Amino acid sequence: MVDLVWFQLLSAVLFVIGLYGVMARRSAVLIVMSIELMLNAVNINLIAAASHMEGMGKFSDFDGQLIAIFIITVAAAEVGLALAIILRMFRNRSTVNVDEINLMKW
Amino acid sequence: MQWAWLIPIFSFAAAPIIVVLGRFLPTKGALLSILAIVGGFTVFWFILGSWMGSGPSTSGCFTSESTHMLTCNYERNWFNAGLVGAVGSVSLNWGILIDPLTIAMLGLVTFVALMVQVYSLAYMHGDPRFGWYFAVHSLFAAAMLTLVLADNFLLLYVAWELVGICSYLLIGFWHERAQAREAAKKAFIVTRIGDVGLLIGILLIWRDVGSFSMLDAFEAVRAGTMSEGVATTSAILLFLGAMGKSAQVPFHVWLPDAMEGPTPVSALIHAATMVVAGVYLVARAFPLFEAYDADPLMVVSIVGLVTALMAATIALVATDLKRILAYSTISHLGLMMLSLGAFGYTAAIFHMMAHGFSKALLFLGAGSVLHSTEFQETAEMGGLRKVMPLTAIVFSIGALSLGGIPILAGFWSKDEILIAVNEHRNVSFIILTLVTALLSALYMGRAMFLVFFGQLKTQNEHVHDAPFAMAIPMAMLAVLALGFGLISFNWPGAFGGIGTFVFFGHSEGFHFKVWLGVVSIVLAVAAFVASYRIYVQQSISLEGVRSRFSPFLKVCENKYYFDEAYQWTIDRVVLVFSRSIAFFDRAIVNDLLVNGPADVTRKFGVALKVHVTGHVYSYTLAMALGSVGLGIFVWLRVV
Repeated sequence: MVDLVWFQLLSAVLFVIGLYGVMARRSAVLIVMSIELMLNAVNINLIAAASHMEGMGKFSDFDGQLIAIFIITVAAAEVGLALAIILRMFRNRSTVNVDEINLMKW
Repeated sequence: MQWAWLIPIFSFAAAPIIVVLGRFLPTKGALLSILAIVGGFTVFWFILGSWMGSGPSTSGCFTSESTHMLTCNYERNWFNAGLVGAVGSVSLNWGILIDPLTIAMLGLVTFVALMVQVYSLAYMHGDPRFGWYFAVHSLFAAAMLTLVLADNFLLLYVAWELVGICSYLLIGFWHERAQAREAAKKAFIVTRIGDVGLLIGILLIWRDVGSFSMLDAFEAVRAGTMSEGVATTSAILLFLGAMGKSAQVPFHVWLPDAMEGPTPVSALIHAATMVVAGVYLVARAFPLFEAYDADPLMVVSIVGLVTALMAATIALVATDLKRILAYSTISHLGLMMLSLGAFGYTAAIFHMMAHGFSKALLFLGAGSVLHSTEFQETAEMGGLRKVMPLTAIVFSIGALSLGGIPILAGFWSKDEILIAVNEHRNVSFIILTLVTALLSALYMGRAMFLVFFGQLKTQNEHVHDAPFAMAIPMAMLAVLALGFGLISFNWPGAFGGIGTFVFFGHSEGFHFKVWLGVVSIVLAVAAFVASYRIYVQQSISLEGVRSRFSPFLKVCENKYYFDEAYQWTIDRVVLVFSRSIAFFDRAIVNDLLVNGPADVTRKFGVALKVHVTGHVYSYTLAMALGSVGLGIFVWLRVV
């Protein structure tokens, strides 16, 4: 069985790539995709931890999977909402470049 | 008799109708105004008749405990503040109080207002605001009639202020002229100063008695439930209001300036509606004044005497015809106050009426002179009896009446005042009153001789006498100025003299003190003869008389420097004080307390707005760093 730390390493790498994408990307669509990457990094972390701790009695056996499924559900809804917002944004301003979306600034 | 409230209602109704519909009515609504006051005058006779025919058993009527006159009171609920009967609730009534004082005032006001309005038809003819003039005139008369009918202090105060605002409108009627505007403001502000005293006095009585009703207040005084301090203080405060309205020293400065209004307005203000309100108030609240030691009456009599003397000396040197009459009014108002202060209740009311008729007559006569010569200075007149004989005759009747020549109304009323002063005040009072009487005959003679006798100036040769509509009211007033004194006598079987009609405490028939009568006749005749010799025959040198009294004359000609003193006070005290207040307001209240917090908030905002960059990546970076920081914090805590 592969050691838990490899899974955690994968998860951390994915998360940081996502974080970098959120901060560095200008396109709103790519930012949403990066957020998805971060969420999935967390999912990997949770599921790996859950399967390694099976039978240790500290948590119930399905806790990690449950939360992962929950996150997937929320992520699906979030993507739908985010894409709708981006669509409206494009209709109004003809761009999805977040640097140009600064109307709420003082 | 409960229908007496109709008297003011007619005129109250006429005023707005004339304002709104005046231009569709014939004569722009002037006839409506006259009809309304004729209606009031007619109702007055019915009220007088029914009062004569009623006794203590008539519904609403009783013999007053304080005045011992037959008094009728009709009131109904006006409004309630708070729940009826609950603690702290106030129930206000409005109603009418009819006693001989009210009846005398009603007669004076309705008659003089009617005469003045008829006269104004001709005098104001062709004025661009003819309708407005009559509308305000109606309102003025209505307010004054309400004032004399009111049975509670609150309604009286409302009417009192209405009178004030109407006088303001009429004095400033020709508001295109700067002096008229200034005079109107002066009249309003000076009388308002006294009105503050009146309001405080009324509230003081209300606090003590728990009701605005005059009868309740008088009953409280009589029964002794109102303490001496409250009674005296409220009487003095009421007298402050009366001083403002009745132009007593030092509030007299507005009345001479009020000459800027049309002359019939002066006639109305001086004779019937405005200035007598103060005398009426003191007479109405007489039970308050004479309660306990009657200290307030001493104040009243001193103020009255000072006013009478001072105004008489100014009238003697004034050169403007209307101003001579104005100062004469102030002087006679002083005499009325003096009379009230000397317990001469009947004498004061009698003199108020005799003076009202005579002074209205004099003003209408003066108006007739100004109307055709268009001069106000007596120096421009002279010898006018040749071109306007009717005006000369009626003016002379008025002047002789006020001067105190026997048979005419003014003589009898002045005699009553002298008797009252002689009985109740010490010898210096009676001497000074006689001096005032002498001066009043002198200045009346001076006005009469300067205007109507002597050489006719060529510029006045074309002038014409008063037209019909102006002549009729003058003639009717002249008849009253001639014969009104007759009501002071005891007419067996018909009328027991005015002393049995209007009185305070006990009725008294006709009485006459021979030595006082002789002295006053001698003084009056001597004064008229002297002024005839000075101004017509010029056998006494005017210059000689003037040089003998020159320092005193200078003071008189400058009106005792009252206006200058007030101007100085306003400039040096009031305005300086207001400027310091304004500085405090601007520097402390505005800049520091209001703008200060706003400034601080704004500076904080400016400093803090930098973090709102509008760039998503900077927010994300902050969020990421925040999470890392939070993570490190939690990790350190756990370890």
